[in-house]
This record gives sequence, C-alpha cells and structure tokens, in this order.
Amino acid sequence: MAGHRVAHATLKGPSVVKELVIGFALGLAAGGLWKMHHWNEQRKTRAFYDLLERGEISVVHPEE
Amino acid sequence: MIVLKWLFLTISPCDAAEPWQLGSQDAATPIMQGIIDLHHDIFFFLILILVFVLWILVRALWHFHYKENAIPQRIVHGTTIEILRTIFPSLISMFIAIPSFALLYSMDEVVVDPAITIKAIGHQWYRTYEYSDYNSSDEQSLTFDSYMIPEEDLELGQSRLLEVDNRVVVPAKTHLRIIVTSADVPHSWAVPSSGVKCDAVPGRLNQISILVQREGVYYGQCSEICGTNHAFTPIVVEAVPRKDYGSRVSNQLIPQTGEA
Repeated sequence: MAGHRVAHATLKGPSVVKELVIGFALGLAAGGLWKMHHWNEQRKTRAFYDLLERGEISVVHPEE
Repeated sequence: MIVLKWLFLTISPCDAAEPWQLGSQDAATPIMQGIIDLHHDIFFFLILILVFVLWILVRALWHFHYKENAIPQRIVHGTTIEILRTIFPSLISMFIAIPSFALLYSMDEVVVDPAITIKAIGHQWYRTYEYSDYNSSDEQSLTFDSYMIPEEDLELGQSRLLEVDNRVVVPAKTHLRIIVTSADVPHSWAVPSSGVKCDAVPGRLNQISILVQREGVYYGQCSEICGTNHAFTPIVVEAVPRKDYGSRVSNQLIPQTGEA
C-alpha cells in the first residue's frame, strides 16, 4: 500500500516505508564509508607490495 | 578524501600482538590477506544491519512514545514486510557465503610440490622443529628445540612472552609445507600474521601450506590448552630472503644438531 501509515484513530502516524527507506539509506551510507576504508587499505597494501617487488623499499635490515 | 583518510587511521604495521590493538595483524601470506578481506566484506553487512536496526529502533521509540502516542496499536500481520524481512536476510547470507566458501576452499588447496617441509612438534612446554629435507641416509634431520625466553633474560626491545631462543627460519616467497604434530598433549601452532592455526594432535600429522610474501619476524602463541605453561610456549617464524636461507639454516642449526 503506497504511503502505508500506521493506522490510528486521531494521529497521523509514521510512514513505515519512509522509515525503512531512510534506515536502509543510512545503513548503506555507513557501510559505504567502511568500504572506502577497506579499498583505501587494499590500495596501500598493493602499493607496499609493488614497491617491495620493484626494490624501491626493503624490509630487510642491511648487513653492517 | 583527506578527511576520510585522517578519520580512518591505519594501525602501524605489526607482525606481533600490540597493546590496545584493534584490528588484525598485517597479512604476511595470501591466506591472511584473504581472511582480512573476508572480514571486511562481512563487516560491511554488519554495519548496514546495525545502522538500519538502530534507526528503526530509535524512530519506533520516537514515534510511539507514550506521550506522543497514548493508544498503542495491535498490529499482528503484515504480509509484505514479512516477505521482505525473509528475503533480505537470505540475500545477505548468500552475499556473505560466496566469498566465505571461496576462501575456505582456497585454504584447503594443498600445494603439490612445496620447496621445503618443516615439522613442528609440540611438547610440554616447548616446540621442536625438524628440517628433514636435507637428510642423506645416514644423517639425522636438522632438529632444534625452541623455548620461550624468560622475562628476566629479555633484551631491550624484545617482546614479553613472545620471544624464543631458536626461531623457525624459512625462506620468503617460497611455498612451504608445515607438518604439525605433538609428542604429548594437544597443542596448536598459530601464527596470526600468516593466517595459520593448526592443531598439534598426538598421533596425527596435520599439514598446512603457506607462502610468506615478505621477509620479517612473525610471532604466535600456543592455541590449545596444554597445561600449566600453555601461555609460555610461543612461536616465532623468521622469513629471510631466499638467497640467505641456506646460510642461515646451516649457521643456525648445525651447532644445535651438533649438541643434539
């Protein structure tokens, strides 16, 4: 039912669909922030291993 | 993006447990990287559901507060919402299951021809490592024991309850087979940064395949209760460059085998 509202004798009541959509959108936004953090970390990890492969950085302490 | 980068501070690289650590240790193997990625995939859904449920909860408390809504409704059915709240969780479960099974089966892949096989034997309360690839018929395996360094013998910069006298030396970027067993009670050989935890069961040989992607020193601890000193049998894996592996093994291990 479009614009389904919680039935009440006198008050207008909230729209269930609207609240669900807003909640889902907020959830997606928060999840999206997390995904961005994940992609950023993946990018940094990939860059680290690329640099290691090319020999521009090293994790081995040089022999003295 | 700069603000977001600042907000989501990354923890400095670590291959051992750190005080107040929040996330996983940095991955040193493809398996651990897969585990971290799977965690991130699942955490996305966790955040989605958490924020959604919190929103609905707060809005329900807001709209149906007794001062705002003196007469409560008795709603007992809602076919559409019941269908949606069944389908959506099933879809979420499916989206989680796909990468999860992919990782699980990839972890079970046995490397057919690893370069090196190392046996890790659990004891109460130390480890024995055997390098048996270098035997000739009359020689014994390269074998050594690995005991925790007690707190009073630690040097500056060493980690408490994590350091050992003899580390497991392995070559980096090389396929390894680790065979784990025990000589007495069950133990578990665990190295978090390698994504490895393998039970050491007496009378059984468990096999794991790992590929350490970068040189470094990786710490772990016994992960199966094995008696009074269960907390004092750590594991330290030192991944060295391939070209240095031979000399490290011969220099480190031959004095021990001489004593053994």
